[in-house]
Amino acid sequence: MANVTVLDVRAIRKAFGAVQAVDGVSLRVEPGEIVGLLGPNGAGKSTTLHMVLGLISPDSGTVRLFGRDPARNRTEVLSRINFAAGYLGLPGSLRVWEVLRSFAFSYGVARPAARVDEVIELLDLGRLRNQRFRELSSGQQTRVQLAKALINEPELLVLDEPTASLDPDVGDRMRELLLAQARESGRAMLITSHNMREVERMCHRIHFIAEGRIVAEGNAEQLAGAYGVADLEEVFLKVARQ
Amino acid sequence: MTTLLAPGAAASRRRIWGIILRDFYAFRGNTPRWIETVFWPTLELIIWGSVSLYLQANAVSMAVSALLGATLLWQVLYRSQGELSLAFLDDIWSRNLVNLFVTPVTVREYLAGLVLFGSFKMIVSATAMGGLALLLFGFGLFGMGPALVPYMVVLIVMGWALGVFAIAVVLRFGASAQVLAWILSFVFQPFSAVFYPLSVLPAAMQTASKAVPASYVFESMRTVLAGGAFDWAALGIAAALDAVYVALALGFLAYALRHARDHGKLSRFGD
Repeated sequence: MANVTVLDVRAIRKAFGAVQAVDGVSLRVEPGEIVGLLGPNGAGKSTTLHMVLGLISPDSGTVRLFGRDPARNRTEVLSRINFAAGYLGLPGSLRVWEVLRSFAFSYGVARPAARVDEVIELLDLGRLRNQRFRELSSGQQTRVQLAKALINEPELLVLDEPTASLDPDVGDRMRELLLAQARESGRAMLITSHNMREVERMCHRIHFIAEGRIVAEGNAEQLAGAYGVADLEEVFLKVARQ
Repeated sequence: MTTLLAPGAAASRRRIWGIILRDFYAFRGNTPRWIETVFWPTLELIIWGSVSLYLQANAVSMAVSALLGATLLWQVLYRSQGELSLAFLDDIWSRNLVNLFVTPVTVREYLAGLVLFGSFKMIVSATAMGGLALLLFGFGLFGMGPALVPYMVVLIVMGWALGVFAIAVVLRFGASAQVLAWILSFVFQPFSAVFYPLSVLPAAMQTASKAVPASYVFESMRTVLAGGAFDWAALGIAAALDAVYVALALGFLAYALRHARDHGKLSRFGD
């Protein structure tokens, strides 16, 4: 992977009517870096992610992915990133391998069948391979979503509450897998989560967002020190209640 | 690192194929959809075939061929629109639209995939109906001669334009507007002179019908079935109107997408 800043967001703003959902957010993600975006419900996390992904147009500010304007280089940029969110679904009548195969084609993967086998093994989905997506438990569906998100070996993985519906054991294994992906493949990640232990364990840097603004930034230790508390959970409570 | 296809035509074809595969897998795994593809057209065929036999028995000339031809060709238009809209609604119902919009698939490629697979389903449906019409009522669709091909092309393209328009309306006004995807072609049916000649419509409706490509097809079909000459001028007008419909539908889709991105509506399809 080239050593170009993966994501460079500068002063993006978005209002929906009278509500200023995002108010001048700036953040960067470098290759191999895992960056967390934390904040209470309605703080502007998902709106920020969706502006990064091109689902929402910012009112002002810029988003650059791999140094390029995604609005002008949509196909090239989107083939290098991927997204998974706990609140999304996938076509329910498709079997797991069919979901992954159709997305492999949609991302222009050169050897779709081989890549589908790889992610099925990576996410331990072998036994579920021929199950229809709608027949899976929510935890299993989340694993398929993550497999979909890795299908094109993205250089940036955007994850909105990636382990929300997983039991502690599977959640822990998924975190290990994602950490290994960052370590071994240099894959950058931008993550939102309400699981503070997950964020402490995974993220190199954390941005706290409240009422659409970044109110604190640093690693877990720095943030706890700055707020004079023991851990990230207490930082979260302080930020949310301010 | 997984090798992605280099940007270009091959990568574009691969992405279109991704949409087709997705729709094919969804269709293959959904028995009610298989049944529905053949059931409703068959039902219509039997109803109108029986009505036309009754009329013919009462010495109404040409009833069988005109009504069966109309039934079959109307299904071509209805299916073209419906298949396109339904594939899009499937993505909304499965909360997959956001996943789709963050892939490198362009809107043009997405529509191409929907159109290609929708055409396959429409051909399956039309073939089944054509066979049944021959079997049950002795009506051969190809009795219309070579005129059948341009008729079908005009109706298919009009159906696609209406399908794209329905998608754009849902994007613009949200999932609650999805009822339009079901009824849009029926809004045009009275003006299309499907089962009766244009001349029986009130004057104002006749004027409106002149702006509907399908009306030229069904008028011309009745002329051909009655032994008259194929009206190339009418077909030319219908094709030109089709081009206008497609341009308007694509323009509205572009506007609806821009509006959805500006107002955060695409994101809400994931809720």
